[in-house]
Amino acid sequence: MKKALLLIFSACMVACTSIDCPVQHSVMAHYAVMTSDLTAADTLRDTLSVTTKKMDRKDTLLLNQAIGVTSFSVNVSYTNPEDTLFFQFKNYPYMAVDTVWMKKENTPHFESVDCSASYFHIITTIRTTHHAIDTVTINNPSIDYDPQRVHFHLRLKSHN
Amino acid sequence: MTLREYISTSVSRVTISLVLLTGCWVSADAQKLFRLEKDSIPLMRGFQLSFDLFGAGQMMLGDYGQYEAALRLNLHDQWFPIVELGYGKANHEEDAITGMAYKTQAPYFRVGIDFNMLKKKHQANRLFLGFRYANTSYKVDVWRKDQPDPAWQTPTRFDVRDEQCSQHWLEAVAGIDAQIFGPVHLGWSVRYKKRLAHKDGIIDKTWYVPGYGLWDSSALGGSFNFIIDI
Repeated sequence: MKKALLLIFSACMVACTSIDCPVQHSVMAHYAVMTSDLTAADTLRDTLSVTTKKMDRKDTLLLNQAIGVTSFSVNVSYTNPEDTLFFQFKNYPYMAVDTVWMKKENTPHFESVDCSASYFHIITTIRTTHHAIDTVTINNPSIDYDPQRVHFHLRLKSHN
Repeated sequence: MTLREYISTSVSRVTISLVLLTGCWVSADAQKLFRLEKDSIPLMRGFQLSFDLFGAGQMMLGDYGQYEAALRLNLHDQWFPIVELGYGKANHEEDAITGMAYKTQAPYFRVGIDFNMLKKKHQANRLFLGFRYANTSYKVDVWRKDQPDPAWQTPTRFDVRDEQCSQHWLEAVAGIDAQIFGPVHLGWSVRYKKRLAHKDGIIDKTWYVPGYGLWDSSALGGSFNFIIDI
Protein backbone atom coordinates (compact mmCIF):
# COMPACT_ATOMS: atom_id res chain seq x y z
CA MET A 1 0.00 0.00 0.00
CA LYS A 2 2.84 2.38 0.87
CA LYS A 3 4.38 1.68 -2.53
CA ALA A 4 1.10 2.50 -4.27
CA LEU A 5 0.74 5.81 -2.42
CA LEU A 6 4.36 6.66 -3.20
CA LEU A 7 3.68 5.96 -6.87
CA ILE A 8 0.60 8.20 -6.92
CA PHE A 9 2.54 10.97 -5.20
CA SER A 10 5.39 10.66 -7.72
CA ALA A 11 2.97 10.82 -10.65
CA CYS A 12 1.47 13.99 -9.18
CA MET A 13 4.89 15.56 -8.81
CA VAL A 14 5.99 14.97 -12.42
CA ALA A 15 2.78 16.35 -13.93
CA CYS A 16 3.56 19.98 -14.57
CA THR A 17 1.75 22.92 -16.03
CA SER A 18 2.99 24.01 -19.41
CA ILE A 19 3.34 27.60 -20.54
CA ASP A 20 0.22 29.40 -21.62
CA CYS A 21 1.72 31.47 -24.43
CA PRO A 22 4.90 30.82 -26.40
CA VAL A 23 8.03 32.52 -25.07
CA GLN A 24 8.85 33.74 -28.55
CA HIS A 25 5.59 35.30 -29.59
CA SER A 26 6.56 37.35 -32.62
CA VAL A 27 6.12 36.17 -36.16
CA MET A 28 8.99 37.72 -38.14
CA ALA A 29 10.71 37.13 -41.46
CA HIS A 30 14.41 36.43 -40.88
CA TYR A 31 16.92 37.48 -43.52
CA ALA A 32 20.52 36.24 -43.68
CA VAL A 33 23.08 38.34 -45.54
CA MET A 34 25.07 36.02 -47.78
CA THR A 35 28.26 36.15 -49.77
CA SER A 36 27.98 36.43 -53.54
CA ASP A 37 28.27 32.64 -54.00
CA LEU A 38 25.56 32.08 -51.32
CA THR A 39 27.82 29.67 -49.43
CA ALA A 40 28.60 31.71 -46.30
CA ALA A 41 27.17 34.45 -44.11
CA ASP A 42 28.29 37.94 -44.92
CA THR A 43 28.18 41.15 -42.92
CA LEU A 44 25.93 44.06 -43.79
CA ARG A 45 28.42 46.81 -44.54
CA ASP A 46 25.90 49.44 -45.57
CA THR A 47 23.26 51.01 -43.33
CA LEU A 48 19.93 49.38 -44.09
CA SER A 49 16.46 50.53 -43.11
CA VAL A 50 13.28 48.76 -44.16
CA THR A 51 9.96 50.62 -44.47
CA THR A 52 6.53 49.92 -45.84
CA LYS A 53 3.38 51.89 -46.58
CA LYS A 54 0.56 51.73 -44.08
CA MET A 55 -3.07 51.63 -45.16
CA ASP A 56 -3.15 55.45 -45.07
CA ARG A 57 -0.14 55.46 -47.48
CA LYS A 58 2.17 56.91 -44.81
CA ASP A 59 5.56 55.26 -44.29
CA THR A 60 6.22 53.07 -41.29
CA LEU A 61 9.63 51.81 -40.18
CA LEU A 62 10.16 48.06 -39.86
CA LEU A 63 13.97 47.96 -39.50
CA ASN A 64 15.98 50.92 -38.31
CA GLN A 65 19.53 51.49 -39.62
CA ALA A 66 20.99 48.01 -39.30
CA ILE A 67 24.71 47.71 -40.00
CA GLY A 68 27.47 45.26 -39.17
CA VAL A 69 25.02 42.38 -38.74
CA THR A 70 24.81 39.08 -40.58
CA SER A 71 21.06 38.73 -40.21
CA PHE A 72 18.01 40.81 -39.39
CA SER A 73 14.28 40.40 -38.90
CA VAL A 74 11.36 42.23 -40.47
CA ASN A 75 7.67 42.19 -39.49
CA VAL A 76 5.21 40.36 -41.69
CA SER A 77 1.70 41.68 -42.24
CA TYR A 78 -1.03 39.61 -40.61
CA THR A 79 -3.35 39.07 -43.55
CA ASN A 80 -2.16 41.01 -46.62
CA PRO A 81 -1.66 38.65 -49.59
CA GLU A 82 1.48 40.57 -50.53
CA ASP A 83 3.86 42.77 -48.51
CA THR A 84 5.66 45.57 -50.31
CA LEU A 85 8.89 46.48 -48.53
CA PHE A 86 11.34 49.28 -49.26
CA PHE A 87 14.97 48.43 -48.51
CA GLN A 88 16.85 51.71 -48.13
CA PHE A 89 20.65 51.52 -48.37
CA LYS A 90 22.24 54.70 -47.04
CA ASN A 91 25.69 54.64 -48.64
CA TYR A 92 25.63 52.33 -51.68
CA PRO A 93 27.70 54.37 -53.55
CA TYR A 94 24.74 56.68 -53.40
CA MET A 95 21.52 56.20 -51.44
CA ALA A 96 19.56 53.38 -53.04
CA VAL A 97 16.07 52.04 -52.48
CA ASP A 98 15.01 48.58 -53.59
CA THR A 99 11.43 47.43 -53.55
CA VAL A 100 10.78 43.86 -52.41
CA TRP A 101 7.43 42.16 -53.04
CA MET A 102 6.70 39.15 -50.87
CA LYS A 103 3.63 37.07 -51.73
CA LYS A 104 2.34 34.77 -49.02
CA GLU A 105 -0.49 32.61 -47.76
CA ASN A 106 -1.73 33.50 -44.28
CA THR A 107 -2.99 30.99 -41.74
CA PRO A 108 -4.67 32.00 -38.46
CA HIS A 109 -2.85 30.44 -35.52
CA PHE A 110 -4.48 29.85 -32.15
CA GLU A 111 -2.67 29.04 -28.91
CA SER A 112 -5.19 29.75 -26.19
CA VAL A 113 -7.85 32.29 -25.34
CA ASP A 114 -5.19 33.78 -23.03
CA CYS A 115 -2.86 34.48 -25.97
CA SER A 116 -3.34 37.05 -28.68
CA ALA A 117 -4.26 35.79 -32.13
CA SER A 118 -1.39 35.40 -34.56
CA TYR A 119 -0.91 34.40 -38.17
CA PHE A 120 1.61 32.04 -39.68
CA HIS A 121 2.68 32.42 -43.29
CA ILE A 122 3.89 30.42 -46.24
CA ILE A 123 5.94 32.46 -48.68
CA THR A 124 4.99 31.70 -52.26
CA THR A 125 7.17 34.15 -54.19
CA ILE A 126 9.57 37.01 -53.55
CA ARG A 127 10.85 39.44 -56.14
CA THR A 128 12.90 42.61 -55.97
CA THR A 129 14.33 45.52 -57.88
CA HIS A 130 18.08 45.40 -58.32
CA HIS A 131 19.65 48.73 -57.38
CA ALA A 132 21.68 47.54 -54.38
CA ILE A 133 20.17 44.09 -53.99
CA ASP A 134 21.51 41.38 -56.24
CA THR A 135 19.10 38.62 -55.23
CA VAL A 136 16.67 37.65 -52.50
CA THR A 137 15.95 33.92 -52.43
CA ILE A 138 13.63 31.83 -50.30
CA ASN A 139 15.55 29.56 -47.95
CA ASN A 140 12.58 28.36 -45.91
CA PRO A 141 9.04 29.47 -46.85
CA SER A 142 7.40 28.77 -43.49
CA ILE A 143 7.20 31.78 -41.14
CA ASP A 144 6.06 31.11 -37.58
CA TYR A 145 7.32 31.65 -34.02
CA ASP A 146 10.69 29.99 -34.71
CA PRO A 147 13.38 32.67 -34.30
CA GLN A 148 16.16 30.40 -35.59
CA ARG A 149 14.71 29.69 -39.01
CA VAL A 150 16.22 31.72 -41.86
CA HIS A 151 13.55 32.48 -44.44
CA PHE A 152 15.49 34.54 -46.97
CA HIS A 153 19.03 34.76 -48.26
CA LEU A 154 19.89 38.34 -49.19
CA ARG A 155 22.81 38.95 -51.55
CA LEU A 156 23.90 42.51 -52.17
CA LYS A 157 25.68 43.92 -55.16
CA SER A 158 29.36 44.55 -54.77
CA HIS A 159 30.35 48.16 -55.39
CA ASN A 160 34.11 47.77 -55.34
CA MET B 1 13.35 22.67 -29.76
CA THR B 2 10.86 25.02 -28.08
CA LEU B 3 10.52 25.26 -24.31
CA ARG B 4 7.11 23.61 -24.47
CA GLU B 5 8.47 20.65 -26.46
CA TYR B 6 11.36 20.35 -24.00
CA ILE B 7 9.00 20.29 -21.01
CA SER B 8 6.75 17.78 -22.76
CA THR B 9 9.71 15.52 -23.58
CA SER B 10 10.99 15.71 -20.00
CA VAL B 11 7.59 14.83 -18.57
CA SER B 12 7.28 11.93 -21.04
CA ARG B 13 10.66 10.53 -20.04
CA VAL B 14 9.91 10.71 -16.32
CA THR B 15 6.48 9.18 -16.89
CA ILE B 16 7.89 6.30 -18.94
CA SER B 17 10.53 5.71 -16.25
CA LEU B 18 7.83 5.58 -13.59
CA VAL B 19 5.78 3.15 -15.66
CA LEU B 20 8.82 0.90 -16.08
CA LEU B 21 9.52 1.08 -12.34
CA THR B 22 5.91 0.19 -11.70
CA GLY B 23 6.29 -2.75 -14.05
CA CYS B 24 9.24 -4.07 -12.02
CA TRP B 25 7.31 -3.68 -8.80
CA VAL B 26 4.20 -5.28 -10.29
CA SER B 27 6.11 -8.25 -11.67
CA ALA B 28 7.58 -8.97 -8.23
CA ASP B 29 4.27 -8.88 -6.39
CA ALA B 30 1.92 -9.57 -9.29
CA GLN B 31 0.95 -13.03 -8.16
CA LYS B 32 -0.17 -11.82 -4.78
CA LEU B 33 -1.66 -8.50 -5.83
CA PHE B 34 -3.69 -9.23 -8.93
CA ARG B 35 -4.95 -12.78 -8.49
CA LEU B 36 -8.60 -13.20 -7.66
CA GLU B 37 -9.10 -14.00 -3.99
CA LYS B 38 -10.31 -17.51 -3.39
CA ASP B 39 -13.44 -17.20 -1.29
CA SER B 40 -17.17 -17.79 -1.45
CA ILE B 41 -17.93 -14.32 -2.89
CA PRO B 42 -19.23 -14.61 -6.48
CA LEU B 43 -17.37 -13.09 -9.44
CA MET B 44 -20.27 -10.83 -10.52
CA ARG B 45 -20.96 -8.38 -7.73
CA GLY B 46 -23.18 -5.93 -9.60
CA PHE B 47 -22.78 -2.47 -11.11
CA GLN B 48 -21.98 1.03 -9.99
CA LEU B 49 -23.57 4.04 -11.66
CA SER B 50 -21.78 7.30 -11.01
CA PHE B 51 -22.04 10.99 -11.90
CA ASP B 52 -19.18 13.48 -11.88
CA LEU B 53 -20.11 16.48 -9.75
CA PHE B 54 -16.81 18.30 -10.34
CA GLY B 55 -17.31 18.66 -14.11
CA ALA B 56 -20.93 19.74 -13.62
CA GLY B 57 -19.74 22.34 -11.09
CA GLN B 58 -17.17 23.62 -13.59
CA MET B 59 -19.93 23.94 -16.16
CA MET B 60 -22.16 25.93 -13.80
CA LEU B 61 -19.48 28.19 -12.33
CA GLY B 62 -17.15 28.72 -15.29
CA ASP B 63 -17.20 28.88 -19.05
CA TYR B 64 -16.30 25.25 -19.63
CA GLY B 65 -17.03 21.86 -18.09
CA GLN B 66 -18.69 18.56 -18.71
CA TYR B 67 -21.60 16.40 -17.66
CA GLU B 68 -20.40 12.86 -17.20
CA ALA B 69 -21.83 9.52 -16.09
CA ALA B 70 -20.10 6.19 -15.72
CA LEU B 71 -21.13 2.57 -15.49
CA ARG B 72 -18.70 0.30 -13.65
CA LEU B 73 -18.92 -3.48 -13.42
CA ASN B 74 -17.91 -5.00 -10.09
CA LEU B 75 -15.95 -8.22 -10.52
CA HIS B 76 -15.35 -9.80 -7.14
CA ASP B 77 -14.85 -6.35 -5.54
CA GLN B 78 -11.43 -6.43 -7.16
CA TRP B 79 -11.62 -5.56 -10.87
CA PHE B 80 -13.93 -2.84 -12.17
CA PRO B 81 -14.24 -2.50 -15.96
CA ILE B 82 -15.73 0.93 -16.62
CA VAL B 83 -17.32 2.98 -19.39
CA GLU B 84 -17.56 6.75 -18.95
CA LEU B 85 -19.78 8.85 -21.21
CA GLY B 86 -19.88 12.61 -21.12
CA TYR B 87 -20.79 15.80 -22.89
CA GLY B 88 -18.21 18.59 -22.74
CA LYS B 89 -18.91 22.21 -23.48
CA ALA B 90 -16.98 25.48 -23.57
CA ASN B 91 -18.30 28.93 -24.31
CA HIS B 92 -15.60 31.49 -23.62
CA GLU B 93 -16.90 34.91 -24.55
CA GLU B 94 -14.51 37.54 -25.86
CA ASP B 95 -11.51 37.56 -23.55
CA ALA B 96 -11.08 40.86 -21.72
CA ILE B 97 -7.38 41.09 -22.65
CA THR B 98 -6.88 39.19 -25.89
CA GLY B 99 -10.39 39.52 -27.33
CA MET B 100 -10.37 35.82 -28.26
CA ALA B 101 -13.61 33.83 -28.09
CA TYR B 102 -13.89 30.03 -28.16
CA LYS B 103 -16.87 27.73 -28.45
CA THR B 104 -17.23 23.98 -28.66
CA GLN B 105 -19.54 21.20 -27.49
CA ALA B 106 -19.34 17.49 -28.12
CA PRO B 107 -19.74 14.06 -26.53
CA TYR B 108 -16.80 11.89 -25.48
CA PHE B 109 -16.21 8.47 -24.02
CA ARG B 110 -13.64 6.65 -21.94
CA VAL B 111 -13.20 2.92 -21.39
CA GLY B 112 -10.85 1.28 -18.95
CA ILE B 113 -10.52 -0.72 -15.78
CA ASP B 114 -9.92 -0.01 -12.09
CA PHE B 115 -8.27 -2.27 -9.57
CA ASN B 116 -9.18 -2.21 -5.88
CA MET B 117 -5.90 -1.82 -4.00
CA LEU B 118 -7.27 -2.55 -0.51
CA LYS B 119 -6.20 -5.77 1.17
CA LYS B 120 -9.69 -6.38 2.52
CA LYS B 121 -11.56 -6.03 -0.76
CA HIS B 122 -15.04 -7.12 0.30
CA GLN B 123 -15.91 -3.95 2.14
CA ALA B 124 -17.89 -0.87 1.16
CA ASN B 125 -14.90 1.48 0.83
CA ARG B 126 -12.42 1.15 -2.02
CA LEU B 127 -9.06 2.50 -3.15
CA PHE B 128 -8.51 2.34 -6.91
CA LEU B 129 -5.73 2.41 -9.45
CA GLY B 130 -6.68 2.15 -13.10
CA PHE B 131 -6.42 3.52 -16.59
CA ARG B 132 -8.69 4.85 -19.32
CA TYR B 133 -8.58 5.16 -23.08
CA ALA B 134 -10.56 8.21 -24.18
CA ASN B 135 -11.74 9.65 -27.47
CA THR B 136 -13.65 12.67 -28.68
CA SER B 137 -14.49 14.29 -31.99
CA TYR B 138 -15.60 17.91 -31.86
CA LYS B 139 -16.02 21.14 -33.80
CA VAL B 140 -14.51 24.44 -32.71
CA ASP B 141 -15.38 28.09 -33.30
CA VAL B 142 -12.55 30.56 -32.58
CA TRP B 143 -12.88 34.22 -33.39
CA ARG B 144 -12.21 37.76 -32.34
CA LYS B 145 -13.37 41.17 -33.55
CA ASP B 146 -11.45 42.65 -36.47
CA GLN B 147 -8.34 44.44 -35.26
CA PRO B 148 -5.84 46.59 -37.15
CA ASP B 149 -2.50 45.10 -38.09
CA PRO B 150 0.01 46.81 -35.75
CA ALA B 151 2.39 47.82 -38.56
CA TRP B 152 0.23 48.05 -41.68
CA GLN B 153 -2.98 49.20 -39.92
CA THR B 154 -5.07 47.08 -42.27
CA PRO B 155 -8.07 45.41 -40.59
CA THR B 156 -7.35 41.76 -39.81
CA ARG B 157 -9.95 39.09 -39.34
CA PHE B 158 -9.65 35.97 -37.16
CA ASP B 159 -12.78 33.92 -37.63
CA VAL B 160 -12.59 30.14 -37.79
CA ARG B 161 -15.92 28.31 -37.68
CA ASP B 162 -16.86 24.64 -37.44
CA GLU B 163 -13.25 23.48 -37.49
CA GLN B 164 -13.32 19.69 -37.19
CA CYS B 165 -10.98 18.37 -34.48
CA SER B 166 -10.43 15.08 -32.68
CA GLN B 167 -8.29 13.65 -29.91
CA HIS B 168 -7.35 10.31 -28.35
CA TRP B 169 -5.73 10.13 -24.95
CA LEU B 170 -4.87 7.85 -22.02
CA GLU B 171 -5.48 8.53 -18.37
CA ALA B 172 -3.84 6.96 -15.33
CA VAL B 173 -6.40 7.04 -12.53
CA ALA B 174 -6.11 6.86 -8.74
CA GLY B 175 -9.15 7.32 -6.55
CA ILE B 176 -11.22 6.34 -3.59
CA ASP B 177 -14.89 5.79 -2.98
CA ALA B 178 -16.51 5.62 0.42
CA GLN B 179 -19.93 4.40 1.44
CA ILE B 180 -22.15 7.17 2.78
CA PHE B 181 -25.25 5.07 3.44
CA GLY B 182 -26.83 2.03 1.84
CA PRO B 183 -26.00 1.97 -1.88
CA VAL B 184 -24.83 5.60 -1.96
CA HIS B 185 -21.10 6.28 -2.19
CA LEU B 186 -19.05 9.40 -2.72
CA GLY B 187 -15.61 9.26 -4.29
CA TRP B 188 -12.93 11.25 -5.99
CA SER B 189 -10.26 10.45 -8.50
CA VAL B 190 -7.05 12.08 -9.66
CA ARG B 191 -6.07 11.54 -13.27
CA TYR B 192 -2.83 11.98 -15.18
CA LYS B 193 -3.65 12.56 -18.86
CA LYS B 194 -1.42 11.86 -21.83
CA ARG B 195 -2.46 12.70 -25.38
CA LEU B 196 -1.92 9.92 -27.91
CA ALA B 197 -3.02 11.71 -31.06
CA HIS B 198 -4.89 14.84 -31.95
CA LYS B 199 -6.15 16.72 -34.97
CA ASP B 200 -6.62 20.44 -34.45
CA GLY B 201 -7.47 21.60 -37.94
CA ILE B 202 -6.25 24.83 -39.46
CA ILE B 203 -5.73 26.60 -36.11
CA ASP B 204 -2.97 24.19 -34.95
CA LYS B 205 -4.12 24.10 -31.34
CA THR B 206 -7.36 23.93 -29.44
CA TRP B 207 -8.14 25.22 -25.97
CA TYR B 208 -10.86 23.14 -24.33
CA VAL B 209 -11.16 19.53 -25.48
CA PRO B 210 -14.41 17.82 -24.40
CA GLY B 211 -13.59 15.27 -21.69
CA TYR B 212 -9.91 16.21 -21.57
CA GLY B 213 -10.21 19.76 -20.31
CA LEU B 214 -7.85 22.60 -21.11
CA TRP B 215 -5.09 21.01 -23.12
CA ASP B 216 -2.51 23.71 -22.37
CA SER B 217 -2.88 23.57 -18.59
CA SER B 218 -1.87 20.83 -16.16
CA ALA B 219 -1.84 17.21 -17.29
CA LEU B 220 -3.60 16.45 -14.01
CA GLY B 221 -7.35 16.29 -13.75
CA GLY B 222 -9.88 15.02 -11.30
CA SER B 223 -13.44 14.05 -10.62
CA PHE B 224 -15.77 14.00 -7.63
CA ASN B 225 -18.31 11.26 -8.00
CA PHE B 226 -21.78 10.53 -6.70
CA ILE B 227 -22.02 6.73 -6.91
CA ILE B 228 -24.89 4.32 -6.57
CA ASP B 229 -24.31 0.58 -6.13
CA ILE B 230 -26.77 -1.42 -8.18
